[in-house]
Amino acid sequence: MSKLLKVFLIASFAVASFSAKAVTVASWGGAYTESQQKAYADTYTDPSSIQFENYNGGLGEVRAQVESGSVTWDLVDALPGDAITGCDEGLFEDITTEIAELSTPGPDGESMLEDMENNGLEYHSGWDCCVPQIFWTYVVFYDPDAFPGDKPSSMADFFDVEKFPGKRGIHTWATGIVEKAMVADGVKPSAVPTVLRDQTGALDRAFAKLDTIKDHIVFWSSGAKPLELVKSGEVVMSIAYNGRVGAANLAEGENFEYIWEGQVLDQEYLCLVAGAPNRDAAIDFMMHASTPEAQAEQAKYITYGPMRASGIPIIQAGEPWGPGGVDIMPHMPNTPERLKVSIVSDPQWWSDNGAEINERYSAWMGN
Amino acid sequence: MEVPISTAELLTTDGVPLKQSLKKAERKNKIRAFLLVFPLLLFIIVTFVMPIGDMLLRSVDDTQINTVFPNTFSEFKKWDKEKDELPPEEVYKALFEELAYGDKIQVGRALTRMNYSKSGWKSLIKNTSRAIKKAVKKNEFPDSYKDFLITANDKWADPTYWYAMGQMVNFQTPIYYYNAIDMTYDQDQNVIRQEENRRVYVQTWIKTLKVSVYVTFFCLVLGFPVAHLLANLPLRYSNLLMIFVLLPFWTSLLVRTTAWIVMLQQQGVINGILVWLGILNDDGRLSMVYNETGTLIAMTQILLPFMILPLYSVMRVIPKSHMRAAQNLGAKPATAFWKVYLPQTIPGMSAGGLLVFVLAIGYFITPELVGGKDGKLIGSWIAYHLKTTLNWGLCAALGAILLGVMLVFYWLYNKIVGIDNIKLG
Amino acid sequence: MALPSYATPVQRTYYYAYLFFCSVVFFFLVAPLIAIVPISFSVSPFMVFTDGMLSWPPDPDAWSLRWYQNMIGNCSADVVSSTVPCSHKWMTGTVNSFFIGLTATFIATTLGTIAALGLSRPHMPYKGLIMAILISPMIVPLIITAAGMFFFYARINLVYTFTGVILAHVALATPFVVITVTATLVGFDMNMVKASQSLGARPVRTFFKVIMPLILPGIISGALFAFITSFDEVVIVMFMASLDQLTIPKQMWAGIRQEISPVILCMATCLVALSIFLLTTVELLRRRSERLRGIKSR
Repeated sequence: MSKLLKVFLIASFAVASFSAKAVTVASWGGAYTESQQKAYADTYTDPSSIQFENYNGGLGEVRAQVESGSVTWDLVDALPGDAITGCDEGLFEDITTEIAELSTPGPDGESMLEDMENNGLEYHSGWDCCVPQIFWTYVVFYDPDAFPGDKPSSMADFFDVEKFPGKRGIHTWATGIVEKAMVADGVKPSAVPTVLRDQTGALDRAFAKLDTIKDHIVFWSSGAKPLELVKSGEVVMSIAYNGRVGAANLAEGENFEYIWEGQVLDQEYLCLVAGAPNRDAAIDFMMHASTPEAQAEQAKYITYGPMRASGIPIIQAGEPWGPGGVDIMPHMPNTPERLKVSIVSDPQWWSDNGAEINERYSAWMGN
Repeated sequence: MEVPISTAELLTTDGVPLKQSLKKAERKNKIRAFLLVFPLLLFIIVTFVMPIGDMLLRSVDDTQINTVFPNTFSEFKKWDKEKDELPPEEVYKALFEELAYGDKIQVGRALTRMNYSKSGWKSLIKNTSRAIKKAVKKNEFPDSYKDFLITANDKWADPTYWYAMGQMVNFQTPIYYYNAIDMTYDQDQNVIRQEENRRVYVQTWIKTLKVSVYVTFFCLVLGFPVAHLLANLPLRYSNLLMIFVLLPFWTSLLVRTTAWIVMLQQQGVINGILVWLGILNDDGRLSMVYNETGTLIAMTQILLPFMILPLYSVMRVIPKSHMRAAQNLGAKPATAFWKVYLPQTIPGMSAGGLLVFVLAIGYFITPELVGGKDGKLIGSWIAYHLKTTLNWGLCAALGAILLGVMLVFYWLYNKIVGIDNIKLG
Repeated sequence: MALPSYATPVQRTYYYAYLFFCSVVFFFLVAPLIAIVPISFSVSPFMVFTDGMLSWPPDPDAWSLRWYQNMIGNCSADVVSSTVPCSHKWMTGTVNSFFIGLTATFIATTLGTIAALGLSRPHMPYKGLIMAILISPMIVPLIITAAGMFFFYARINLVYTFTGVILAHVALATPFVVITVTATLVGFDMNMVKASQSLGARPVRTFFKVIMPLILPGIISGALFAFITSFDEVVIVMFMASLDQLTIPKQMWAGIRQEISPVILCMATCLVALSIFLLTTVELLRRRSERLRGIKSR
């Protein structure tokens, strides 16, 4: 028995040390990771030194790795809330100095962080451990053929089942929806985070607005679902990740329309796990993946927007930027004029209140 | 002739009393038997029982935060809520110092914990901490720590945050168990119900039980006739038909779940065939998956073999003559079935029923994949807290309660069927 | 169970309704497993019976092996579809699944068989309690086991290692071995052991020469149960395995969460074939065991 165990231990160590040379990046898989592979890894000096692994978000695995001291991931592609928590808990390493020294400045000499602020973002503690990736958004889209007459154009229309009858597709967790409900209730998009943060009862207002369409909702939980729902006519409009809608329009010849008003921009970061086995190589890759050029490059493969403001002009100048000579600016969520009608989700507020709101949202769904 | 009966003790050849010798031999046999079982027993205890015990400990453990804020908490306990609206100066001072000199990572970890007791702790402490560190760097120590903290963030003047701290001041806490059934503490540490719009766990427990009961019921209804048929057919037919039961039993859960999605979805096989046959028109496709229907259909099929197999093994040994005898004595077939046959299958029904119920109650893969918005059973919440919110205490408490429910049924099963009577196929 | 010739029309109706009901249930049990097989050979990336597949005479253009080629990592241009990713992950997963499964089976079978021998001895103390502990991994919901193991193994550096996954799978698989081997030992004549020992054989020799050949069918079916338990297990690997320990179920789970591709159905078809093979083996062994032990086939 003990002999056997030894053999296994040796075998597993051998396997572990064999694969330890490559920088392991935990990411979401699917088309998104494919775009990261093409835009970041394939353009890197040594593409074979980067390997991607799938995970489903959350910090459970990272915390287990860091606490036990056996870290196998180097980088994690994290949502901003996880970036904040991870950095606060020391699960991600604070690399403020490395970021200041090694990151590529924007074209006018602005630092990377200033470049992000130019895109409507505010500092949060995730910025100490992570570099920016993309803006992805919860956007409402529809098939124009489903509306022969007037077409919906605002959040108010999405919540108005009398003017535009039919079912709505909505996801099964709360982020993004709460903000949209506030816009539909008459709050100016740019003011939504402040109102949610500072006004007591703002959340009740959002849920009251959601109540008005509750009987007209089809819930989805995987990113491919809303497209099926709209395509099959089961719903007339749906919230979706804009990258999915973009892919359907660009690659599959669909003709979906977006309602940019009230879109909720969320952020995506690449964070360094504390005690990463290939720390220096991983930092080098982080710096490569956060240049404006690399971020603009990613937009070629998936229609998520660069989180650095200086990425947008690169795309504009390079049009047609997309595959097969198509313009992709029409699908970019964070052009200056679209930013004006968008909500930039407040990760610190979600990090504080997310667990509670999600419980409330689940209870609301179930009742 | 009388045989003289010896009253002396029987002895073995080496002079030891037989009784003693037998006892010794028996003890030796016992030890031998135990030694054979010992390696596996040890293995299961180390790799399985201890992890579960560890999880149970985690469900009441609040050590981490208590090592981060020991002075704050001990001063906090002295606060007389009746007399003062806010805690005394010493609490503010202790907190100031523990935030100023505390290890960043440990404090960060404690923040995550504090945020479970009240949303908003995270940014409150983080902002305050920043202000404190700035002051300490400049060597500016305030005269009144209370005023300093309240100036840094006016939430420190809000007693509700302080009340919430009361949940955390002990090394052991039952709060996660209360949370797991939608209860919490009020400001005086009395147990009260959670705010109405946050009550999600009781609802989920009920849903989980409901799904399990339905699935058990459907399995019984579908499984009983099939087991009866298998038990009464000649062996060469029943062995053949048994494959229909055993094949799903041997096939991966994920394969079966996938198969059901492919069958049931809107663009799936069943809808496709119905449209092709002209029974449905293209926009009238049924939605059979990503809702409770899907969960029930898939789980029933997945668990059905666990009902059929125990039923079958019980029915197999019920003599056919019983039914015939009852009918010969004048009972109608229905009466004979009801009065004679059915009672004899009760051990099988209860074994199958409990097995299906216990398995169903812990399922989460299938409901999560096919259940849509209704698919979040208690198992999903356990996984969610483990992976996403990092609320491992609540995760462990939910697991412990589920385990408790399960053990009750396990115990019942043992009473009714006996744990060593489990048969596989 | 045929219908007696004197059955009344009402009884006849009941009888045929009963047979019909049973056939429906049998259909319900296997139909989904059978339905995915043809779809995995479809040309189309959509998981339906296309018109070409339903037409008669069969339309060869509707069928293909492209998804199987995709599954084995052959990503040539005629195989790849824009919506279906192609990689070597399925093959890596297969190798890992077999490695983990076989190793876990070996350990579980060894430990389980020895324990079953002890449990079937008449003098076993605390039999009920010990049996309950040994069987518990089979009864406790997997999510609880997985959560507990995740916390515990993380403390001792076993999360994301082959050792950790294998140990976990052994724990899950041993109950099956214990149950099947104990069941085989029920009909076992202990006098044979005594005879062997009285003829001078040592216990180990007795085991390999006398006991083992007789209970071998039970051991093998226990081992097959153990193997399939590990091979199909998804919850533990979801929490405790990283990319290095990618197994087939882990890869399937990731795929189903995202979007079900026809490649998943190919793998599912292979797994169904594997289960048919294992099932047949177990059934043959069971009959052999009954014959060997002189139990009359019922």
